Amino acid sequence: MMPGMPAANGGAIVPFSGEPHHAASVPHVRPIRHGVAPPIFRVYVSWSSGNLLQVACLRQPSPEDGGGSGSEEVAGRVVEVNLGVGNGSAEVEKEVDEAEMRRIEYGSVPAFALLQSRKNALAGTAAMSHMQAVPEHAEWWQYVLEYSKTIGYLLGNPDSLPAPMIEDARAILKVKEKPTSLKAAWELLEIFYVDKQLHSWLPERLVDWLADYDSLLTKTDGTVYCKLSNFQKKLINLQIVENDPDYWNGLSAALSVGWLDVVVNMLRFHGSYQLDQMDNRETENGLVEAVAVLVSTMPRMRPDLPTGKLGQCCKTRPDFIKAWEKWRGQVSKLECSAFWIQCGHQKTRDGLKNLLHIMMGNIKDVTAATSHWLELFTSHVLYIRPFTVGFEGMHHLAQKCIQLKPSFDNNGLTGLLTGILSENPEVVLAECTKKFGPWMVTHAMELLAADNDYADIMLHEERPNFGGMSIEELHRLVYAQVLCSHSLTWQIAPTYLSSCLNQGLGLLEILLLKQPIQDNRLVLKTLELCRLYELENVSTNIMKIAGIFHWKHGRKGTGVYWFQQAHDKVRLDRIAQQLFERIGESVAADNFKQWEGLLELLGSDIGSAGGLEFLHRYRDFKRSLQQALEGRTAEAARQTVEFLIQLMRNPSTPQRFWLPLLHDSVMLLNCKPRPLLNVAETTLLLNKLQEVSMAKLRPDYCSNQLTSHALNSVRLALASNLACAILEEP
Amino acid sequence: MADSPSFRRHPLPFSIDLVRWLPSSTSSGRLLAAAVHDLSSSQLHLLPLPDPASPLASLPLPSRATALRCSPSVLAAATSSGSLHLLPSSFDAGSAISVPSGAGFHVGPVRGLDCGGEEWVTAGEDGRVHVVSGGGDGRVVAKRVWDGKGMSGYEAARWASSAEFATGGAGCGVQWWDRRKGDAVVAQCKGIWGRGIATGMVHSIDIHPSRKHICVVGGSSGTIFAWDLRWQQQPIPLSGVGLDGTAQSVCESEVWEVLFDNYTQSSDIISSASTRMLPVMMCSEDGILAIVEQDERPLELLAEPCAINSFDIDPQNPSDVVCALEWESIGVLTRGRDAMAEE
Repeated sequence: MMPGMPAANGGAIVPFSGEPHHAASVPHVRPIRHGVAPPIFRVYVSWSSGNLLQVACLRQPSPEDGGGSGSEEVAGRVVEVNLGVGNGSAEVEKEVDEAEMRRIEYGSVPAFALLQSRKNALAGTAAMSHMQAVPEHAEWWQYVLEYSKTIGYLLGNPDSLPAPMIEDARAILKVKEKPTSLKAAWELLEIFYVDKQLHSWLPERLVDWLADYDSLLTKTDGTVYCKLSNFQKKLINLQIVENDPDYWNGLSAALSVGWLDVVVNMLRFHGSYQLDQMDNRETENGLVEAVAVLVSTMPRMRPDLPTGKLGQCCKTRPDFIKAWEKWRGQVSKLECSAFWIQCGHQKTRDGLKNLLHIMMGNIKDVTAATSHWLELFTSHVLYIRPFTVGFEGMHHLAQKCIQLKPSFDNNGLTGLLTGILSENPEVVLAECTKKFGPWMVTHAMELLAADNDYADIMLHEERPNFGGMSIEELHRLVYAQVLCSHSLTWQIAPTYLSSCLNQGLGLLEILLLKQPIQDNRLVLKTLELCRLYELENVSTNIMKIAGIFHWKHGRKGTGVYWFQQAHDKVRLDRIAQQLFERIGESVAADNFKQWEGLLELLGSDIGSAGGLEFLHRYRDFKRSLQQALEGRTAEAARQTVEFLIQLMRNPSTPQRFWLPLLHDSVMLLNCKPRPLLNVAETTLLLNKLQEVSMAKLRPDYCSNQLTSHALNSVRLALASNLACAILEEP
Repeated sequence: MADSPSFRRHPLPFSIDLVRWLPSSTSSGRLLAAAVHDLSSSQLHLLPLPDPASPLASLPLPSRATALRCSPSVLAAATSSGSLHLLPSSFDAGSAISVPSGAGFHVGPVRGLDCGGEEWVTAGEDGRVHVVSGGGDGRVVAKRVWDGKGMSGYEAARWASSAEFATGGAGCGVQWWDRRKGDAVVAQCKGIWGRGIATGMVHSIDIHPSRKHICVVGGSSGTIFAWDLRWQQQPIPLSGVGLDGTAQSVCESEVWEVLFDNYTQSSDIISSASTRMLPVMMCSEDGILAIVEQDERPLELLAEPCAINSFDIDPQNPSDVVCALEWESIGVLTRGRDAMAEE
């Protein structure tokens, strides 16, 4: 980015807007506390990971604070600005709080990864068998169903609340965990796209679904749930329930959407059940009970009924049709019964008759009983077209219901359902994107394509206008970006990026390289990801970056460690030169203790230390020399001289150490009665000495503190040693 | 068979870096200390079990915690900026004492922290080693034992006795310090790193109170080894990648923590009294919580889809293990009372 010009008022940085008159582009001003005293000379802005913006503010470097010792003022500072906290996420993700959403994100990683690896394995076997019919393919939807159940469980478990100790007999609606739209939407997709076993009893699934999520359908228009919960509040103050029209409204509403248990429970509130009234209201009570029995024996086409739910369970279609005809017959018979005339309570008579009409599929009564179009749709499926199979005519029916009960509060669920019923995966995908956010889209695509060839092609087709990416990859990348933008979730982004064949790997490399390297543990976590995805060059780069960071901040050992791990010979050699300069300044034995840790780090595996190899040998020489001078044993002296010769022969020994090394050894050479070096060795050292004195004449010679006096004393010692050696040699 | 081990994950709304059992003086529930962070802050939380969802007390920290230890009466946390925070294990945040980071103490992460009786040892990535003790008047005094001036960095520290402690770090293996010998390193171990890696990083050291001459060390590349001061030249491999068949590898990634496990009975009780290593529990970046033993197959307790950054064995109830999972949750593992012994 371009360096910006800071404004004059106290160093605040004002963003420049291209079109100041355009209302939409009003600059968003964000004060930054950088603590750098004005005037600010330069500002650099660059993106860090995710939403973090790094802003560097620098002062004009002035020659007088060059020393940096006296000046208290900061010359510059880098601040991180977190932009866009909390915005940009879909509506539904706000319903679920951020930490909860992250829990869902983490939890879906293993399920997603398992499904991808199964997909790859199947693709592998398909390729092996030369595209013959793969028997496993038939089971694919079962894998997807397993995946869908795992994710569904993550989104919330309605039974997770402990059952109340004392069941309230007058409770109409059971207390459950508050349902979320996310879970509702996920279940809708599962019902319609994945679970093949369900297709024969799709209407019943819809009834179950509505029973769980009716409260979410709309906020502004009424629902059956709304009616019932309002009545529940009223119930405490009611003496004679059957006189209240809301009682009968609630009953017909609950029956119209098939909540049989609620209806039967509510019917038992009827006053005629009370012991003191039994005698007078015998017929009335008989009628109430008869309706309750009919409600509780309604045939339902489904494999099983969960405990607490009512109805007569029919497993096969012929059974269901037979049972249904019989039950309808009973309903009609009761409706025509003569007992109604003997029922004295007008409201009871009308209310019960209304219930019977709903059960008989009377369009007018059903329409009056329901509030939302989806409820009307459900009661159509239940009572008017009980033999509907699969998608047959459902879309048309939905259109009709929407016309009758238009809803202006589109909260995503109904939009999603319209898309599903119109068999239009594009609409479903768009609704997911708009209302449920990137997490939902990324994970729901697997459901859409589970057994739908059209959706499969739509999602996986490579699109030139997306740079050759598929829609699936595009959505995964978007989701991965969302994950990357949060410092707690970036670690799961690689799972999604690695499933993107086109752009994923490139973005993964960028993500890994952008991770902070200040903390060794975080670096190791990043490197572990590199190892998993076999990105060796990325990991080498990260190590080098970490090495430079630590080196610059004075943690030399850690810096060297990372360079070693990266096998970075070039930088190790550079570092070696810098270190040698320091050694040149302080060779006292005590200071050498400081180097011990670093030398241990370099280790015995000298090859990996690059130019630092010299340090190791130098330490060995110094140590040995000290022992030789203290102990004055011949063995120690001989050892020291051997180290000296090794050092002088080794090309990695910097020239500026030659003279100090020789000078250190003068004492040793002089104090021995017998020569320690043979002729060849002495000649080598003399040659080196000659080279040093020649180099002195060169302009690029860097001067040591050793004087010409030192040079002379070395020369003298070597000469006398040479003389002795010549005499000794045979 | 005895009860099978049970494991429970508790999702929390923040990331947990480190977790430790706190000594519970009363019978009323059990307590955990957890060092946590989220986008904006770092804190030390006191969490109750069995439901750790809401902290009972908290202490704000200046930066992310890098080490957490507790003695019977004091809980100590060191941070990535180089400060040390001591507070009574009753978690009375008002009486917390801090040693601020800076030239007089540490600069940068302090990962080595351990309590030895009255004194705490701290070893930082800046190469400094301090011994912190009470000054008598409620203040604490930090005495500098060594300043490596960045030439080496330390990642772990553990007391062996009141006068000896061990440190470990990046590439520098393990050092044995003796305070009676002028606060100096008296022994040094390079460590064992396989797969042609010249060096590795030490992340954690543990020393068993009954065998003070042996340290067990966990570090890079799934490496776990024991170092016996009596045989300094021959560290004993317990796990590692690419080692020559002497030890099985329990994982391939970083071993974040190691602890001697008193609960697991060594399979050979007679020899364990003499030369064999005691069983060691470890956790790793690739989500493994396992028990490793010399010449035995590792016993995997957990294989999580995310990293296990830290764990602790309850000293009062060694069948219970708590661990900090990367995905913002803690896990509590309860091992069957006799499951290990019956095998």
